[in-house]
Amino acid sequence: MEAPELNDYREHLLDALDDQPRRATEERPGLLQVLVNHERVGMLDCAHTDPSFAFTARERSIQHLEIRSESGVLIGGCVAPEAGHKDVRIPVGKGAATIHVENHFDGGSLQVQYETAPRWWAHLAAAMGLPSETSKPAASATPIWTMTTAFAQIVLAVGVVALLAERVPSWMGSDDRAHQLEEELAARQSTQEQVDRVHQQLAQLVEAQAAAVAISRSEQERIAQLNNLVDTVTLAQQKLNTQVVTVQEDLQTVKTGVAQEVQNGIRVAVSTVEAERELVRQDLQSIKSVNETLIKQVALLESRNRELHARLALTSLEVAKANAAPKSTVLAKNDTAKDAAVSTPVADGLRETDRQAFMFWVAFQDGTTEKSIEDLVQELNGIKKGPMKSGWYSVEVNLPKPEPPDRFLESVKRAKIVKSVVTSKAMPPAQ
Amino acid sequence: MSSKLPDGKTMRDGQIFSARLNNVVTTEREFDELVTKSLPELLDRATGQTKRFLRETNQWGDDITHEKLALRWGYELVERFVVFGRAEVPCRPFFLLDSLIAKSFSQPDPLCYHKELLTPVGRFLDGLASRAVVSRDALITLFYHFYGFSQAHVVKLLGFGQAESQRVYKNFERWRQSGWQRTMNETGLSGSEIEVLEQELLTRPDHLNHEVDRLMPVLQSHYRKSEPEHYPCLSEQKWGQLFHDDYGHDYRVWHLAFCRDCFMEVADRRQTEASNGLKPQVNLHIHPLKKGGVLALFGGDRGGRHHGSTRAQRLSRTSA
Repeated sequence: MEAPELNDYREHLLDALDDQPRRATEERPGLLQVLVNHERVGMLDCAHTDPSFAFTARERSIQHLEIRSESGVLIGGCVAPEAGHKDVRIPVGKGAATIHVENHFDGGSLQVQYETAPRWWAHLAAAMGLPSETSKPAASATPIWTMTTAFAQIVLAVGVVALLAERVPSWMGSDDRAHQLEEELAARQSTQEQVDRVHQQLAQLVEAQAAAVAISRSEQERIAQLNNLVDTVTLAQQKLNTQVVTVQEDLQTVKTGVAQEVQNGIRVAVSTVEAERELVRQDLQSIKSVNETLIKQVALLESRNRELHARLALTSLEVAKANAAPKSTVLAKNDTAKDAAVSTPVADGLRETDRQAFMFWVAFQDGTTEKSIEDLVQELNGIKKGPMKSGWYSVEVNLPKPEPPDRFLESVKRAKIVKSVVTSKAMPPAQ
Repeated sequence: MSSKLPDGKTMRDGQIFSARLNNVVTTEREFDELVTKSLPELLDRATGQTKRFLRETNQWGDDITHEKLALRWGYELVERFVVFGRAEVPCRPFFLLDSLIAKSFSQPDPLCYHKELLTPVGRFLDGLASRAVVSRDALITLFYHFYGFSQAHVVKLLGFGQAESQRVYKNFERWRQSGWQRTMNETGLSGSEIEVLEQELLTRPDHLNHEVDRLMPVLQSHYRKSEPEHYPCLSEQKWGQLFHDDYGHDYRVWHLAFCRDCFMEVADRRQTEASNGLKPQVNLHIHPLKKGGVLALFGGDRGGRHHGSTRAQRLSRTSA
């Protein structure tokens, strides 16, 4: 079932191929389609005053060229080399199309020129030695057509007059009927040919005008496209400017924001540091006050300790006295004054041996009042020795034997108003 | 002129010339004679190479549809060879054909192959579109076969003047007389297949139109490459400007015939301007518009049943 259908189809295609040259020859030149690389690139109007077509390919060379009629019949074409040129002349109806392809590797150009077959009067003119119509430049075509139209009209008028002149006698019935008919027929044919020719020329004229209008329109289109392009570019430029301004504003905003944030950060950090510093200062002050309180307590305890030492010494003296009293009653009564005189130096001697004199130099804080100085000296049970010399006071105290001088000096140094303390052995430092 | 062989192949008188196809041909006359008598060999060679290409690109199937497809493309290659070859003399015909085929297949995406285009409706649409690339008659009548537009509607849609509208009428006339039948023959659609399509359009028009609507983008994206590169899709505003300023006539024909989206947009706009108000839609027609036929466009009767007794078109004697 399938094979016969396929064979029929194949046969039909072979017949179509067989028939192709005939179809191509029978095609009347009119509008020809130009296809480059299987893509339609334009039309060639053979009835145009200047029937030519040009095309330029920019990316690919022109490899396949096809010329087809409006109904799609393949009339001619060629395969051109990728680089180089190719010239082909193909018959189109009674005329011919000259194809010139110029290729290079990244493009190519095409030129198609249609040439009509020379007409019988051209041959006649050639035989008579007159210049042919096709040899004249294309620019003079329009006046030629105008002249030809006028000439055709005159011929037509003459023909009509001749016809009438021939007809009138026939209406009168004076001439041979058959002869008249023959001449009439010939005249009619001639007139008809002239009329056809005039029509054809008029049609060509109209087409030329249409082509000129089309060219003018295409130019207008191009100008309009250019204007659109300029408008687009201007619009794009305006947009760009607006964007630049926007970006600048954004940058300014970002800068201001960043500066404010930095300042805020610094302010917060500074205030935090200040608060911490204040806390530390308060802590230091509280520590200092606690320290002073402790110093005072230590000083008080030391003074009490000294008092206790003194009392102990006194008590031990009294105990010694109490022990010596029964003996003295046993001894002679006249020795009482002497014993008393002797016992007093012993007691003094004991006190002298229990206590030691200690002299040191002390400098006080600036702005310390004399009263404060006196109070301290009294508190230490000391005596100021001499006037102040270069900010230094010499003070002498009696220290109980067990108390070492260094420890005593340390306690003095802890006093709030004391700036510095040195021992009496050293020279008072120069201020 | 030909006789059938037992294996189904056809023997032609020119087959004896096949040996000479490898030899150098020196004159145009000799070329013409040899080619005319060796057409079966040339067609078989071109078909064979097309099959090989399809096999190598995994697009081949062992069925009659693929065989017909290969024959059709082989035919197109040989047609070009016959016409171009005269300009290449002196040459070796087989070598020249091979180089022509190789050049064709080396093009990007050389064949419009899609499995769904192998159905009868797919082949019908593909045949129309591939013909429209080379034939203005087929191009203009695409508006009728795809959307049901008559000559008058096409002229109105494309905004043509008097001279160009005459051409449109001529295109319809030529297509009706010979173009459609030739295209069907060259596409390989048999009479029975066309009849089946016609029946389906009669019984299930919506289904078939939906199928066409689905396949159109595949077809058009392949064949739209045949238009000049400066023909892109336009915005609605640009289309409006193009019609208002009355330029780009070629552009309108080529682009709107091969771009469904732009067609719908422009047809809708121009239809609205004509105060009809009905939306354009896909409306498949199998046969060409009959002489004197005028269609009722965009009505509820999609399907173009103009060939049967229940045809939807109104007939008028006033149009061509």
